[in-house]
Amino acid sequence: MQQDNLSKNNFEQCLKCDLCTTVCPMKAVNPDYPGPKQAGPDGERYRIRDPRFYDLTLRFCLNCKRCEVACPSGVEVGDIIQTARIRYGKPAHALRNSFIANTDFVGSMASSCADTVNKLAGKSSVRSILNAFGIDKRRPLPEYASERFSKIFKPESQDGFARFLTFYHGCYVEYNHPSLGIDLIELLNVCGYGVRLLENEKCCGATFINNGLSARAKVNARANAASIRKALEAGSEDVVTTSATCTLTIRNDYEHLLGIETGDIRQHVMLATKWLFGKIDSGEIRLAFKEDWKGHYAYHTSCHMQMLGWQIYSIDLLKMIPGMRLDVLDQECCGIAGTFGYKKENYEYSQKIGEKLFGNIARTGAEVVVADCETCKWQIESGTGVKVLNTIEVLLDALDIQKTRELNR
Amino acid sequence: MKYDVVIIGGGLAGVTAGIRLQKAGRNCCIISGGLSLNDVPRQEFIALGGAFLTGGRVLGGVWNGDELESLVVSNLEGTGLRADNYILATGKFFSKGLVATMDNIYEPLFGCDVEFEPDRSKWYDPDFFAPQPFERFGVKTQDGRVLRDGVPMKNLYAAGEILAGDIDIVNSALDVCNRII
Repeated sequence: MQQDNLSKNNFEQCLKCDLCTTVCPMKAVNPDYPGPKQAGPDGERYRIRDPRFYDLTLRFCLNCKRCEVACPSGVEVGDIIQTARIRYGKPAHALRNSFIANTDFVGSMASSCADTVNKLAGKSSVRSILNAFGIDKRRPLPEYASERFSKIFKPESQDGFARFLTFYHGCYVEYNHPSLGIDLIELLNVCGYGVRLLENEKCCGATFINNGLSARAKVNARANAASIRKALEAGSEDVVTTSATCTLTIRNDYEHLLGIETGDIRQHVMLATKWLFGKIDSGEIRLAFKEDWKGHYAYHTSCHMQMLGWQIYSIDLLKMIPGMRLDVLDQECCGIAGTFGYKKENYEYSQKIGEKLFGNIARTGAEVVVADCETCKWQIESGTGVKVLNTIEVLLDALDIQKTRELNR
Repeated sequence: MKYDVVIIGGGLAGVTAGIRLQKAGRNCCIISGGLSLNDVPRQEFIALGGAFLTGGRVLGGVWNGDELESLVVSNLEGTGLRADNYILATGKFFSKGLVATMDNIYEPLFGCDVEFEPDRSKWYDPDFFAPQPFERFGVKTQDGRVLRDGVPMKNLYAAGEILAGDIDIVNSALDVCNRII
């Protein structure tokens, strides 16, 4: 009997039960994709012998990790597939993929002339050119903010706090949606915590990993791990985030996929909702909410949030709001999977996967969907027309700021 | 993070108990080792306000004598999961509710007492289609509560496939709910 694994990612523990295949959103809409079991542990047996067994349809993997959550034997199915893509995959659409994956480069270019970029993004002539380049013209492009979050943030405004957290803002807050970062800082300040930023923050690297650019992902991962280590040494209690995907990438993928040591820092990297819940649970922080706040919202658990297993923190925080009627949606993949759904060859699959979730949202009749993921937000907003907010934005909106400040003085 | 009841296992026994307890006004959390295949009951449990937790795995418990104080869960560092009562509904061998080695069968989370035939040669019936003796192995209980070293635990119940003997999944789940309520 085998007690120990000889290879990585628990490969030998696969019992071939196919539970992972039943939860794979891609397999459900695309019969060409072999599904996680065959693409992962089954295919790995052959690839170990001869890399020519690498199957090009592995590019369909969304890296949503639902297969890993489903596996009763603890096989890291998604990681086996990603590792195979990194090791054996040959880059197709190399120029487009490296463009779409380079969120720091694209973001800093776009936000330096955001008005023009946002206007151009709506022009059909521009979209036709991008379409030829491989970015589907039916997919609305993300809007860019004219001022980057790290430029708006004033470190001196955080002087005078005794306790500090570091905020890993990620590309979305930095280039697209700085107000979410501002909201988080206000929330933490009201709770008595000052906020710092990392000395040298880079994109977490998820988009590089998903586009087969692991060498560039490693560069970012090393820089981020070093900065996070430094921030913790400088006295920050934890490093908080607002994106489930960035968090999962730093906590799991740096070590599992990129081989970068993070054992000393990973437990300090967490979603701000988990951090906040922990503080409320231990009685260190108290929140007071507006008495007249009312809303009928629906919570969507993003796939990476499900993988983290932290949806209960966001849901419980939202349920603390007295006027909140919260419908918790059954966990479904929205279909966008980061940059995946922007690509011409994937657009149809992406929309097909999302249909189930869109229908569920419509059935609740909720006025707002809450999600801790930025690309889910884009997909749900374009698929349903319902506004999507981050948990932090909702909490701050419902918060009685004056009262909360007094409670935490 | 304190619930009235935390149910370990999101299979048929777990979600049946979850629905029953939510309907009785108890605040429950189900922690599931995988994505539950019982779509309709799971959705009903969530619609009733229950928390369905995936992604993390229960690693063990913190005990105070015969009382389970909290669950240690991977991914939930710091907070863990606390409840007044717990239901163990982790199933048998396939879902790793029970683990078999060459000469032993044990319950991996809490070291509950397991009823099984010590002679390995008697685990299987060579007739493939006959009832298999290993199907009757499982956790020992007394009034729904699991035993550890022969002592019934105060607030840890077991339901579903993990039980020893003849099992009725739904009945055993409803039975422990009635005891808790």
